Amino acid sequence: MDQIDRLSGIAPGSELYDIRRQRPDFVDGTELCRQTVLTPTHGFDLGHDLRAALAARMARFLGHEELAKTYDEMLAQAGATPLLSGIAAGGELPAEADSFLRTILRHADLVTKTPRENTKADIEALEAAGLSNPQIIALSELIAFVNFEARVIVGLAALGEVA
Amino acid sequence: MSGARFKVKALSWSPYIEPVDVTTATEEQLAAMQVTPSNTKVSPYVRTLAHDPESYVARTKLFNAIMYAKGGLDRAERELGALVASAVNRCVYCASVHARRYVELSGRDEVVEEIYVRGLEGSFDEKTKAIVDFCKTLSQTPSQVTKEQVQTLRDHGMSKADIVDLIHSAAIFGWANRLMHTLGHAEPVDTK
Repeated sequence: MDQIDRLSGIAPGSELYDIRRQRPDFVDGTELCRQTVLTPTHGFDLGHDLRAALAARMARFLGHEELAKTYDEMLAQAGATPLLSGIAAGGELPAEADSFLRTILRHADLVTKTPRENTKADIEALEAAGLSNPQIIALSELIAFVNFEARVIVGLAALGEVA
Repeated sequence: MSGARFKVKALSWSPYIEPVDVTTATEEQLAAMQVTPSNTKVSPYVRTLAHDPESYVARTKLFNAIMYAKGGLDRAERELGALVASAVNRCVYCASVHARRYVELSGRDEVVEEIYVRGLEGSFDEKTKAIVDFCKTLSQTPSQVTKEQVQTLRDHGMSKADIVDLIHSAAIFGWANRLMHTLGHAEPVDTK
């Protein structure tokens, strides 16, 4: 039983549990992707703590509190600070926060909520705040993964409610 | 021109950041891009994402499984899930690619025409409408997906395994659109 099962309400041995296992590449592939964006080997100086905090924040904006709590726990294990906990909770940054963090947060919020509005200027803002190309891609993949995961969970949970 | 079939134009994609240069790439990046002496042509999209080879390799495997795995949901309907997500997220490049694949696999250019001309609220046959509605809500506001929407898919003969495939095809485009549409832009190409 993995995080997707748990958050979708899928119990081991249930019909949907078995159906998911008919697609092992989806099940294992999702967990492998989770590792590469939340706890990567090469993190390009985007720490596991910041990644967990951003994931919790995005899950909250997506309306999935249970998913957000999973990432709160990951953040607690990685070592939460008041700043990171504030990010995870979905709040505004304190005034003294640096532009690097401020721009990352703005981007995560924008791409989660209204990706259709994104333009070149948003990538230029990341560059201006000092993000390297690997950091821009790593951040983009993290944002996109959480958006993917939330949708899989919501879809499977709804499927679990029908006959 | 009556009787002309609706056609979606092919587009090309250009990144907003400098992609990885194959001649200066690291071993890990080359492996991720599957660059070999006989295969040095790699698309700008792949070279852009190869800045983070670890996530690129894992996501590509998952993407290919979701879109191309044998059995289960008809491949055309997976493409429709991809197209609906791309329409919601206004990823014109992804929409163009997957609209064309959908037509190739299903022959149903009238569905694509309806989406391009009238949008996802357009009129569709009932099963197509059920797929469009479900994927639209899942893509736009996942918290508003209802069990009634899923029941409607079941009522049109889709198995639970089919629906698992559909969920993944729409969701993986919630991912792909958030890369392609935010990291670069689409441009017209000459089609002869």
